[in-house]
Amino acid sequence: MLRSRKVKIGVISFEHMHGLSYARALSSIEGAELAGIADADEDRGRRMAAVFNTEYYRDYHDLLDTEAEGVIICTNNKQHREVAVAAASCGKHVLVEKPFAVSAADAYEMVKAATVHHIRLMNAFPMRFNQNVLEAKRLIEEGSIGEILCMTGINHGKIPSGWFLDPSLSGGGAIMDHTVHLADVMRWFTGSEYRSVYCESGELIHNKGIEDCGIVNVQFENGVFATIDCSWAHHRNYPIWPQVDVEIVGTKGVLNLKAFGQVERIYDTEAGIIEDAVWSGSGDEGMIAEFAEVCSTGKAPVASGEDGAKALEVALAAYESSRTHRLQTVRHICLA
Amino acid sequence: MIKIALLGCGTMGNVHARAYRNIPNASLVSVCDIDKAKAEATAEINGSCAYSDFYEMLLHEDFDVLDICLPTYLHKEYAVKGFQHKKHVFCEKPIALCVKDAEEMIGMAQQKHLKLSVGHVVRYFPAYANAVAAVNSGRIGTPRLIRTTRNQGFPRWSWQNWYADESRSGGLMLDLIIHDFDWICHSFGKIERVYALSLKGKVLDKDHCMVTLRMQNGAIAHVEGSWAYPDGSPFRTTFEVVGTSGQIEFDSIKNTGIERYENTGSYKTVFSSPLCPSLDPYTTEIREFIDCVEQDTALKVTGEEALAALKIALAAVRSVQTGESIGASEAGIC
Repeated sequence: MLRSRKVKIGVISFEHMHGLSYARALSSIEGAELAGIADADEDRGRRMAAVFNTEYYRDYHDLLDTEAEGVIICTNNKQHREVAVAAASCGKHVLVEKPFAVSAADAYEMVKAATVHHIRLMNAFPMRFNQNVLEAKRLIEEGSIGEILCMTGINHGKIPSGWFLDPSLSGGGAIMDHTVHLADVMRWFTGSEYRSVYCESGELIHNKGIEDCGIVNVQFENGVFATIDCSWAHHRNYPIWPQVDVEIVGTKGVLNLKAFGQVERIYDTEAGIIEDAVWSGSGDEGMIAEFAEVCSTGKAPVASGEDGAKALEVALAAYESSRTHRLQTVRHICLA
Repeated sequence: MIKIALLGCGTMGNVHARAYRNIPNASLVSVCDIDKAKAEATAEINGSCAYSDFYEMLLHEDFDVLDICLPTYLHKEYAVKGFQHKKHVFCEKPIALCVKDAEEMIGMAQQKHLKLSVGHVVRYFPAYANAVAAVNSGRIGTPRLIRTTRNQGFPRWSWQNWYADESRSGGLMLDLIIHDFDWICHSFGKIERVYALSLKGKVLDKDHCMVTLRMQNGAIAHVEGSWAYPDGSPFRTTFEVVGTSGQIEFDSIKNTGIERYENTGSYKTVFSSPLCPSLDPYTTEIREFIDCVEQDTALKVTGEEALAALKIALAAVRSVQTGESIGASEAGIC
């Protein structure tokens, strides 16, 4: 039975720039409606509300008082807990930007709030909806490379600006920002949980007062091991922003996944830039469509809050290991 | 004119033999392999004399340099024999399988006032050498994050399959990615800590490892090596050096001169970058050594440097065994 009414979803804050892409994806979904935008930054919020032709709220609680079924949270990382817990207590389904939270305690509270208030909590892992990642997952399940033995992951990017560089709002630098995408993808590929982490990291490149390089070595319960390079390693004239590569070594073969591999090179003499423009789509559309369906049907999401918490555990252990230079056992957030 | 005797006429022996054709002050007078047919084939490259017995060659040939292209487990034994007979030694990498053997080789060369150099040829590959030159001229600022890969199928092509035998080759860490350890250590600074993950012993006929190096100057390096690609996979090396103001990338498959696709029973793809003799890395490394011998000047690749690379490889092996990082002092790297 088709629903006559469109599912209503609000966006809380554009502090994280992904909010724009998510709002755009949401507007293109037939069965969904952008129900409103809340942003403490009034100028930004009103601008976005005008662009998407929707209601603006200065206080996100006012958006939570509407009949929206769900909200997408793109605040700074630190605020994820407060907003997600408030949204859950108002009975809204929640899609929260990654990283899921900045601490184990915050992650625990968020998952607990979702359980208590019977709402669906989803973490923004667009890589789960990237067509190359999906194809890699299919090939792995089909057994085309046999059993996974180990993986090498690279998630390089350019250094972000603003609150990303303020640990009190971001929870940390490159490790917090870039470990979780691949930590989630690898956990999804192996179907196993993380056991231990060894990390070397530091503020090495950009001189912005926050760690910008990290090599995160991980081991899974099932014996698979991997490295995740979470460095903001690209300089400003690098031809592409996102780089998400995974080399997956199996018993029968090797799979090299490049989530943003489909590019065409543009040489722009006016702007003085060379750009590798991605033509294959990012995964955002699929992720927002999934959240719309979650809000509409109440189904369990692909990439849940628990998945977000599991990926966060790796980043937290990486910080610990960076300090001790020792192998760190992953502390599992009690999600029962 | 420096006279050379080559010991071991396998893959590397033939590469060295061809390199001598373009080194004007070197003469490859003789070659030796226990397989006489191999020795004769290699001898033809330069019109050298072929031997199947090392002592026969010592007895009949007058030469200055012994070029050792034997499997690794034989390096020390023949280097020592070379020094005993007052020969300078150029030895393929790795210098030896253990620190003790390497130290014995270095000590003996010093004691006898003979030269010992080791084939850490990656430094001489133009892409690698140019990257270091670009770094040294300040084009990317201070190098801070270095990634290298060196990936291929399991090496089944060797004599008696000796690469596959850890006790004779040292395995992936000592045989393959020691190249990258040497390049990184020589070009970007000394090592502070080593952590490594490896498939070693988990799967038959496969190995794959990732080594995280922390340098004393704070930089981080990620070194990957593979013998886990399917048979027939193209050999591929890559590097990425990220500095404080720029970065350099290289990929031997993307940045190549020749792509070759063959089907001789099984499908095969080869990527190669043919180089003129003046740029050929094997020719350059040996030519430099010959010049040092002839002019009695300081070596470009010393036994001590080869030992340093070996110590990193051994620390990586030990890190896999213990599951913890190995510090420089524990690894004997000072």
